[in-house]
Amino acid sequence: MKIHTYEKLWLGAAMVLIVALIATITYGAVGLGISMVDDEEETIDPDALDEDDRFNDPRVEHVGENEYEAYVVARTFMYQPDPIEVPANSEVTFYVTSTDVIHSFSVVGTNINTMVIPGEVSSMTAEFDEPGEYGVVCNEYCGSGHHTMEGQLHVVPEDEFDMTELEVEGDDEVAEDDEVTLNVSVENGMLDDLETTIEAEIGEETFEEDVTVEGDSTYETTITVDAADLGEGDHDWSVTVDDYEDSGTVTVVDDLEDDGGDDDE
Amino acid sequence: MRVSKEALLIILAFIAPIIVELRTVLAWANIELTVLESVVLGLAIVALVLVWAFFPEDESSSETPERQLSNGD
Amino acid sequence: MTMSESGGTYIDNFPAEARVVRSALYSSFLALALGGLFGIIQTLHRTDIYRFIESDMYYTVLTAHGVFLVVTFTIFFLVGVFTWAVTTSLDRGVEDIRFTWLWYGLMTIGTVMAAAAILAGFTDSIDMSADVLFTFYAPLQAHWLFYLGLVVFVVGTWLAGADWFRSWWAWKQENPDERIPLPTFMVLTTMLMWYIATIGIAVSILVFLLPWSLGIIDSVNPTLTRTLFWFWGHPVVYFWLLPAYMMWYVMLPKISGGKLFSDPLARVVFILFLLLSTPVGIHHQYLDPGIAEGFKFIAMTNTMFLLLPSLLTAFTVVASMEHGARQRGGTGYFGWLKALPWRDPVFAGMALAGLMFAAGGFSGMINAGMNINYLVHNTLWVPGHFHLTVGTASALTFMAATYWLLPQLTGKALWNRSVALVQVVLWFLGMTFMSNSMHRAGLLGIPRRTAEPQYQGFEFEAGVGSVAELDFQLALGGALLAISIVLFLANVVGTAFNGRSDDLPANEFAETLSGPEDSPQVLDNLKLWTAIAVVLVILAYSFPLMSIVDRGGLYGPDISPFPVSIETLSLLAFTLEQYTTAAIATTGEFVQTTLTGVIR
Ligand code: HEM
Ligand SMILES: [Cu+2]
Ligand SMILES: [Cu+2]
Repeated sequence: MKIHTYEKLWLGAAMVLIVALIATITYGAVGLGISMVDDEEETIDPDALDEDDRFNDPRVEHVGENEYEAYVVARTFMYQPDPIEVPANSEVTFYVTSTDVIHSFSVVGTNINTMVIPGEVSSMTAEFDEPGEYGVVCNEYCGSGHHTMEGQLHVVPEDEFDMTELEVEGDDEVAEDDEVTLNVSVENGMLDDLETTIEAEIGEETFEEDVTVEGDSTYETTITVDAADLGEGDHDWSVTVDDYEDSGTVTVVDDLEDDGGDDDE
Repeated sequence: MRVSKEALLIILAFIAPIIVELRTVLAWANIELTVLESVVLGLAIVALVLVWAFFPEDESSSETPERQLSNGD
Repeated sequence: MTMSESGGTYIDNFPAEARVVRSALYSSFLALALGGLFGIIQTLHRTDIYRFIESDMYYTVLTAHGVFLVVTFTIFFLVGVFTWAVTTSLDRGVEDIRFTWLWYGLMTIGTVMAAAAILAGFTDSIDMSADVLFTFYAPLQAHWLFYLGLVVFVVGTWLAGADWFRSWWAWKQENPDERIPLPTFMVLTTMLMWYIATIGIAVSILVFLLPWSLGIIDSVNPTLTRTLFWFWGHPVVYFWLLPAYMMWYVMLPKISGGKLFSDPLARVVFILFLLLSTPVGIHHQYLDPGIAEGFKFIAMTNTMFLLLPSLLTAFTVVASMEHGARQRGGTGYFGWLKALPWRDPVFAGMALAGLMFAAGGFSGMINAGMNINYLVHNTLWVPGHFHLTVGTASALTFMAATYWLLPQLTGKALWNRSVALVQVVLWFLGMTFMSNSMHRAGLLGIPRRTAEPQYQGFEFEAGVGSVAELDFQLALGGALLAISIVLFLANVVGTAFNGRSDDLPANEFAETLSGPEDSPQVLDNLKLWTAIAVVLVILAYSFPLMSIVDRGGLYGPDISPFPVSIETLSLLAFTLEQYTTAAIATTGEFVQTTLTGVIR
């Protein structure tokens, strides 16, 4: 069979190109350890995400020094949580699943990009060195509202980042001979201890308590004040922990049978 | 005419991608053009080619730069 | 080389076949017209330049654009041109023209069914829709008529293939010692690839999606149907391309004024496509969870080897053009380019298509890279890529070839050659703008398949220029393409209304510098190549499919009639690793030996 010399040269060059491409990619995967979305994660029942302790409450978790895990649920046509907040200088592993059809989870301008298939969990790890705000889009057609499916990923400066959650339960209406109580719970989602101060104000009364909330735990405390000290009428209260605040109004009444007026919390 | 009308058409077609991305390429060299400037530049290039194509330099030159253009793509 | 001795046009020699081919081509062009219309609507809508439909209807438009262009337009053209190629190169009519009309009829009925299901999405008064895009990924569900239409259409193509095989067998009885003529060889290898590839969607639709849409089964495994789709979805791109390649091999050299450089190498190229087109589909699923990285890796290596036949084609085509140019008196290192018949729309169209295909090849290499793919997957980069491949390499070659075929099929001269030349150049120009802006928008992360890629919470940031400029470029390109399609159709209609002409060229294809007698007989052993192709597919797909079924159940997570335990599976996976590495090695070696065998 007659083959022109140039043809042989071209053939050789083509093979070299192909082998070089494969080698580069192999080096990227093996040498540099650029990992791909794969079958590492167990499957999941898309109809029972509320029974799964990762996805029943989509959130970010602190799992090690500078290491976080984000459990994200994609559904027509939104992501939960939104926004996803992580600190700068961190390594975040995203676990994403879908409750309905196939979506994607694609962080614009990065190579964090995965299909999200019901029944499967996509996981990928990324490092965020600098603070910034990224858009998250769904780039897999998922139905008539596909173009509205977006979310955000906020990488906040390390010193502004915490995972504190403040929750206060207060009475709406208290008899004058009773006590007004505020049940305060401070949740610290970080693994490190949280040193902070709980400040509260009920009417004119103020309270302050320095606390240490241990890593990954919740501190609970109760603040009480005699209703009589406040006197009959509406009294605003507020509780602050760092930048978080919860507030409400309590009504002190003469007698509980009385009409309590407005009873917002 | 230095080239046939059809050849001119093809040459202009080959220039199009160059004009389209000239701005990006120049930006790598830190030359930032506005849209208007790059449109003007593009038109200028097209005008140059047209002038070259239409101004008769006798029938003599058949070894014209047409090649470089079609290969520059 | 076998060729029609009578020297007349195709319609003179094969009047009955010419009617079928003409019908197939007209069906194809009707789809092109509709697809083009939807294309420009999309372009204006997503760039927010002009929106006159509701955004949720965008997806009906996009489904129609995809299905009409890459299923109807391309495949109807393929069956037309393949019928031309087989009858011309064997110099015999089809065995039974009624059978030929039968498959044409089935394809038409299938198209009408699927189209009805899609287009019904435009009105609420009919309770039917198929807004599932041409990939129809479950759990998105279309009306059953859509799936059934696809089945009928594909069965039509199967019968078309049978028709061509029948012609070849009959011819072989009469010419037992002759080599398969090159065009027929290309048709047969392409169809063998198609038979293997369509197993994927046949199973996907018949076993899962159709019963599911009819309510016979409750659920499906989304990863499984998706994988079966891509089992077919990658080879189908070669089903679009190979007719164009065939024209580049058998037509372009002749139009350039010369001969095909090498017949044996052309055969090698088509064999490589038969072998490698299918075991690569998983490269569309690099981002899918639930598929092991190893399987993705295998698909990636196979994909890279699949570059080889395209690179060889590039060489042969350019070398043949150069030969033609030098026959026409071209000289010099590059000077020969000038001697090419650029004013011939058939040549100019095919050459421009080939050039754009080279660009598409580059962006394809990026797509194929497992890691870089994460940057561009499902962004506008991807439509940017395939408008260069199927949207230009195939579409523009088909249009250019039409300018040559139409006179052959009608016996009428082309209505207007200048308009034809302007048309192909306009396509090149429009595609330059559209594809360039799509690629660049993709790099910014702008998603494809999205009615309004303008988001509330953030903006895409362009390094150079702005998103608005890219949108403008996209719309400009789309508009030029739409005009180009109008000019093309005008020429088709104009030609149909022309009177019969007597001085048309004869129906011939390119001769070769190095003919089939220079190549080993084994190249024509279709059974052997088919067997190897099947083995490669089994190697590449059996373990991924088993693993997917094991993970997600045959019919979804609820019903899991595939009781393979995880332990057995990981054992299997391990065995697989061994096998596939071996397979890759063999493929590589095999390619090498064939090539050296061929070279010797
Ligand atoms: C007038 C000419 C054309 C225009 C203006 C046009 C425009 C477009 C645009 C803007 C998209 C992207 C839509 C999106 O992702 O949101 C698109 C998608 C597509 N186009 Fe075209 N196109 C044209 C011709 C063609 C041709 C000739 C082919 C193939 C033969 C083709 C095949 C496709 C396919 C397969 C898709 C993807 C559909 C999907 O994502 O489901 N187009 N087209
Ligand atoms: Cu979506
Ligand atoms: Cu592919």
